[in-house]
Amino acid sequence: MGSLFDIRLVFEYFPLIFSRFPITLLIVVVAIGAGLVLGLFIALVRMRKVLLLNQFAILYVSFVRGTPIIVQLFIIYYGFPLLLEQVGIDITQWEKIYFVLVTYGLNNAAFMSEIIRSAISSVPDGQREAAYSVGLSRWQALRRVILPQAFLNAFPVFGTRVVNTFESTSLAFTLGILDMVGQAQAIGSRTYHELEGYVVLAIIFIAISMILEKLFVHAEKRFIQQRR
Amino acid sequence: MIELKNVHKAFGKNTVLKGINLKVNKGEVVVILGPSGSGKTTLLRCINFLESADDGELIIGDTKVDFKNATSKEILAVRRRTAMVFQNYNLFNNMNAIENVMEGLVTGRKMPIGRAREIAKQALDKVGLKDKYEAYPLQLSGGQQQRVGIARAIALNPDVILFDEPTSALDPELVGEVLSVMQAVAKEGITMIVVTHEMSFAMDIAQHIIFMADGNIVEEGSPKDIFTNPKEKRTKQFLERILPRWNYSI
Repeated sequence: MGSLFDIRLVFEYFPLIFSRFPITLLIVVVAIGAGLVLGLFIALVRMRKVLLLNQFAILYVSFVRGTPIIVQLFIIYYGFPLLLEQVGIDITQWEKIYFVLVTYGLNNAAFMSEIIRSAISSVPDGQREAAYSVGLSRWQALRRVILPQAFLNAFPVFGTRVVNTFESTSLAFTLGILDMVGQAQAIGSRTYHELEGYVVLAIIFIAISMILEKLFVHAEKRFIQQRR
Repeated sequence: MIELKNVHKAFGKNTVLKGINLKVNKGEVVVILGPSGSGKTTLLRCINFLESADDGELIIGDTKVDFKNATSKEILAVRRRTAMVFQNYNLFNNMNAIENVMEGLVTGRKMPIGRAREIAKQALDKVGLKDKYEAYPLQLSGGQQQRVGIARAIALNPDVILFDEPTSALDPELVGEVLSVMQAVAKEGITMIVVTHEMSFAMDIAQHIIFMADGNIVEEGSPKDIFTNPKEKRTKQFLERILPRWNYSI
């Protein structure tokens, strides 16, 4: 067994743990993608106050924001199959990763909807009116004029959201999927060297978070430069 | 050409338009005057449905729309026959000058990009911005932005251009460049409805003046009639206040 902390094991574990990065990345990409699409939908429902859907959206967003993601993970894992069973769809044979993707996607949609909503309302009314005045439809005005400007306004918050999502993937292992955290745990319990695995995780998470932040700051500067 | 019949509009309990009837002929330049709060801007915005009037009828060319039951299809059709120049320019901040002018053509009217670009260039040349195609709104002065706004309107070749106090937000020394562009547009025979406080423009360029107060059209006529021989007391009061120099000539 030797010492409690062996620096050589850090190097030894690193490739083993990092080899699971694609799974973490998959969760982040799906969560952000689904979050953007679904979040936009929720934001529009709420801004146009669509009957019933609006009330449902409010409830949904406050539920997601008011509960820990680990609770959401297990509610989806156990509850989703029951729900879909009602409409005759059997997903009991689904791999666990799908439940993770659904949870993180739904979770992000709620947060994104709030980001998108405030970003859209930060675009002055005159922009929408000008779009209508040149004969753009509601959807065209949104797509061509409002959203591009809202996107720029929301970019810093959006960046933070991506980093948060990346870090929150660390709970996905609780459903038993073998992402980076799952791998570190598995190695730890096999070798009784838990600490080294978590040190590796800390290094990976901090490095990638910093890279993401830098990327967003850089991208934001470029977007803004383009227009001035 | 353009006709408004019995237009009513209220914001809550505040009635802003109390049954406006208005007829504008093709190629005519109409200036709407009136004290603030008289409903001029609201009337203008009702024409392209930026405000939805409560009641009344709009006839534009061969399109006839009932304000009360206008469908979104009808609204879009009206908007594609009109254009507007705004007080605060409202250029699309995410697009440069030429993209601003092309947007209504390419996205709204599905015109091929090449042709739209040609039209946009012509429009920008006309307003004297040949060297500013690629400039973003934030890189332009107020006067230049408003000229892009005018180019964006004329490029659409609309049945009518609605001008909503186009010089009110400008520095005094930039007003002239915008007014002279508007004068050039007027000379081309484009129908214009202009809400403005620029009396010189109203006197020199307009063919027809409409004076509004408290949601009604109080008086209308040629500039000569309105400015030298106003019939209504309300019109006289307004003109005395806005043209104080006339007091000295007595």
